[in-house]
Amino acid sequence: MRIEARGLVKTFPAPPFSGGSPLRALDGVSLEAGPGVTGLEGPNGSGKTTLFKTLAGILEADGGAVLADGAPAAPARLRELAAYCPANPRSFYFRLSPAENLRFFGALAGLPAGLALKKAAALAGRLGLARADLDRRFDRLSEGNMQKVSLVRAFSRGAPLLLLDEPFRGLDAEACRGLQDLIAETGRSSAVLVSSHSPELLREAAVRIIRLERGRTGGTP
Amino acid sequence: MSWARIVIAFVRRDFLAESSYRLSFALGALATLANLAVFYFIGRLFGAALAPELEPYGQDYFTYVFTALAFFGYIGTGAGSYAGRLRQEQMQGTLEAALSTPLGTVPFLAALTAWNFLFATFELGIYALAGALVFKLDFAAANWAAAALVFALSAGCFAALGILSSCFVMLFKRGNPVAWVLNNFEGLLGGVYFPVAVLPAWLLPVSALLPVTYAVRAFQSAVLRGAGLTEIKGDLLALAAFDIVLIPASVWLFGLAVRRARRAGTLGEY
Repeated sequence: MRIEARGLVKTFPAPPFSGGSPLRALDGVSLEAGPGVTGLEGPNGSGKTTLFKTLAGILEADGGAVLADGAPAAPARLRELAAYCPANPRSFYFRLSPAENLRFFGALAGLPAGLALKKAAALAGRLGLARADLDRRFDRLSEGNMQKVSLVRAFSRGAPLLLLDEPFRGLDAEACRGLQDLIAETGRSSAVLVSSHSPELLREAAVRIIRLERGRTGGTP
Repeated sequence: MSWARIVIAFVRRDFLAESSYRLSFALGALATLANLAVFYFIGRLFGAALAPELEPYGQDYFTYVFTALAFFGYIGTGAGSYAGRLRQEQMQGTLEAALSTPLGTVPFLAALTAWNFLFATFELGIYALAGALVFKLDFAAANWAAAALVFALSAGCFAALGILSSCFVMLFKRGNPVAWVLNNFEGLLGGVYFPVAVLPAWLLPVSALLPVTYAVRAFQSAVLRGAGLTEIKGDLLALAAFDIVLIPASVWLFGLAVRRARRAGTLGEY
């Protein structure tokens, strides 16, 4: 699929009575991506995560539009189309195993339990996550393995739009190779957006890279 | 997307999470029994004589408070558990992940507290067994069909209050005026621990504003005296009116609260 952002604006209001000022995280971002893999780079606070969350339908933009295959897509529609892997993997139920977590989030995305577990097992192998780790309690996993579970959750949806925010964070070399292969494979049928602070990993993953600075797209570096 | 699959997924998740805290589970069941014992001994202290305010129900104090606590314990689940569950999701960092899926507001609300209602049903079973086997209470006169209708209308109404309460959690995280009213005044002014006739006259109009007043009175009348639908018609109509207004309003307001959180970027905050 093809995803398009036109003049996206997102301002986070200051907390009431805080004396702070609103934060303009996206200041008219426009980009086109997919089919295939597109990289997104930019310094801390440049708006990458806000852009991902807006494209995923988690946040609602204050201005601008998102188009999916040329048609305007409201946030509810984007939540159907997009799978988002957040930069922080701590968005799971810590008392449950990764397998149970993936079964639960799979159900919310419409995946039958059997299929969710089958996909989880297959994807875990690709990322170097041991079968035993899928059945261990989530809070007993290392940060790197938590990140792998987070990636499995996003990839297993088989969504036409895949948004990977800092997906290489905490991964060992073998897992990074496995992830690069998965990104390349998924990019053949879906639009994949990947962000990373590692220029080498980003260039390996994506032929086309868009730079974001102070909430604006700065063109292809 | 199948609602049943969503509800089952939430129940399975909550069962696994709750049963991983085994001591808490056991202590919760013990607390229910300890609570009942307190009222049992209060009842023994004052004997089986009927207070004038209990005459309309035709039972002693312990039977009255036992039935009200069992009933309120169940319907109160709706009022209390939505905000609690939502807050838990915020603190765990899982709310944003759950709401980044295609899951709609109504199935989310239907599934969020399904486990709490299942557990409350289990607690209700404990109450029923304790009432029959330990305290030897007599419910021979009960009109169970009328009681079931009161139960259904009350559960819907209290779930709506719980959803309203969770709107504040969604927007403000901490500081929840609906929960404050429910926790501090429902039991006091709604006739749970004693008939509202005991209250001073100036508090009765306040009591009349609370759905719990109608719910407890109608349930007590149906279970303790076997009152029929005609006799409790006024209370049933009041509960139905609360349902008609509160259920759609609460779901709509919850949808607005989620949307506002998406706009303000606070869905993932706690």
